[in-house]
Amino acid sequence: MISKKDFKKVSDYLWEIPKSFRSDMRVPARVYVSEKMLEGVFRDQSIPQLINGCTLPGIVKYGIAMPDCHEGYSVPIGFVGAMRVSDGIISPGACGFDINCGIKLLKSELKDNEIAPYLENLAIEIQKEVPSGLGRGRQLKFSIEELDKILEGGAPYLVKQGYGEKEDVENCEASGCLEWADTSAVSSHAKNRGRDQVGTLGSGNHFLELQKVAEIFDERVAEVFGLFKDQVVIMVHCGSRGLGHQVCSDYLREFIPLMLNKYKIKVPDREFACVPFNSPEGQRYFSAMASAANYAWANRQMIAYFIRKAWMNVLGQRAGKLTVLYDVAHNIIKKEKYQIDGKETEVAVHRKGATRAFPPGHPEVPERYRKAGQPVIIPGSMGTASYILVGTEASKEAFHSTSHGAGRTMSRKKATRTISGHQVVQELGKRGIIVKCYSMRGIAEEAPQAYKNVDEVIEVVHNAGLSKKVARLVPLAVIKGE
Amino acid sequence: MRKEGFKVLEHKADLKIKVFGETKEELFENAMVGMFEGGRYEKEGKGQKEKIKIKVKSFDLPSLLVDFLSEILYLVETKKLVFQKVEFKKFLENEIEATLIGKKLKRMGVHIKGVTYHDLKVWQGKDGTWEAIILFDI
Repeated sequence: MISKKDFKKVSDYLWEIPKSFRSDMRVPARVYVSEKMLEGVFRDQSIPQLINGCTLPGIVKYGIAMPDCHEGYSVPIGFVGAMRVSDGIISPGACGFDINCGIKLLKSELKDNEIAPYLENLAIEIQKEVPSGLGRGRQLKFSIEELDKILEGGAPYLVKQGYGEKEDVENCEASGCLEWADTSAVSSHAKNRGRDQVGTLGSGNHFLELQKVAEIFDERVAEVFGLFKDQVVIMVHCGSRGLGHQVCSDYLREFIPLMLNKYKIKVPDREFACVPFNSPEGQRYFSAMASAANYAWANRQMIAYFIRKAWMNVLGQRAGKLTVLYDVAHNIIKKEKYQIDGKETEVAVHRKGATRAFPPGHPEVPERYRKAGQPVIIPGSMGTASYILVGTEASKEAFHSTSHGAGRTMSRKKATRTISGHQVVQELGKRGIIVKCYSMRGIAEEAPQAYKNVDEVIEVVHNAGLSKKVARLVPLAVIKGE
Repeated sequence: MRKEGFKVLEHKADLKIKVFGETKEELFENAMVGMFEGGRYEKEGKGQKEKIKIKVKSFDLPSLLVDFLSEILYLVETKKLVFQKVEFKKFLENEIEATLIGKKLKRMGVHIKGVTYHDLKVWQGKDGTWEAIILFDI
């Protein structure tokens, strides 16, 4: 049983388990939490799972857990691990099934009092326009040839087809397309699943939210980001849907025998199935993952197109423009360079439930934001606040990564046993928040009580320097998938 | 007393089930039923029964169970079906041929993203019956 005494306090917001804790650890394990939150981390398997992650071949510096971490499969959700490209591994389970699950944020030109009379209609219209993808609402169906173009071309391909604006892809991680995508590495099973799910939301914790900027912490950066007090913004949270899930399943299945027989890699659990990053099989997965990531960016691009349509339908001449602040992934593997032991080293950064947060001046930050740093968007749980932050130089210690949400603290089963969906909707209603959903049980499962307090998570992120607070957003209307 | 086919276990974020079966075949069928009930997948009341043949080859028995369930999830999503029964034609340690019998999918409570190999356990008890623990990402 792991307890507080096994940790060394690095700072008020950073705790470390030394490499000597378990003989198979290759690097120490680090957890970004406050002392108050540390006890909560022991209540599930997060720490043993993080320690397992620290045994992966080629991992450098530390295995890291973010303040919103909770137990998952293989590594915990909220994990960051950087594997040397030269002799390290790539592990599909440490990216997750929902490849490039992420957040897109659209900014309006309007204040909340200007849309107040239309809020209900906006929520209804957005729910109508954006299909959940599980059979409700109309869906687009693409041919395999068109789908291949999406997998290779990502969001920019859809923008070229008229589903958005040039600025949408400029304000997107990797400009919405990873160029090492290769459709031949994606199975026909995965492609079949993806054909009718472009522009669909999905279920579980995926959502759309109309929010307003309630508080601004950093006026200078807020101005660069085009944010102002009471501004209405729209948050989109979803990923690569069935296509990404299938890519993960396919490669886990392929990698288990390869890992055991061909590459003879020992891991603590089969879900860690991995092969050398530079092996032909590793490169194929990396290309398939990139294809799924491109699909996810295209998916969020199409959703933005539907939202703009709904926005226009309801507000007409008052609508103004909806511009993209940023679109950022929180389940992805990227090749990045860091100074390791005084030497520039290329690593495959596995982020599973962690958001990339590049500092000011970084060449991958869009030019319009470069002086300020990369916009970071962290959603809260349903009905609670969300945050816009900005990347920092100090986050280098965490491979320029930060938290991705509030983090679950109660199981769905317990949530549905103790919380009623109707009660949640009523309570949010009293605070003026509209909820549009298909299932009351789904609402209970995602109730705010089932999550950590997002404000506490953000305090850790801010005080540890992983990213700095820019603005706090509060919900006006929540639209859930199934 | 005959054990129930499956039980949903506590897990903070995902769906974890324990499955029982008198035989391996029953274990696999109950795992499918447990997956659908755990995710609250509902069939249409009306309409024809549909049959789909599947073949799954795998590394060993635990992986076969995961790969069998993954193949079923693929069919759910692409054919919009949910299955209630499995008729096995061939059942080896690492290979299955079977017919899935199901109906049109009406709705699902939570979308199961994938079947994981995490903490996967498949074992035979002293009385010859089979049990398994499986975690699904939802």
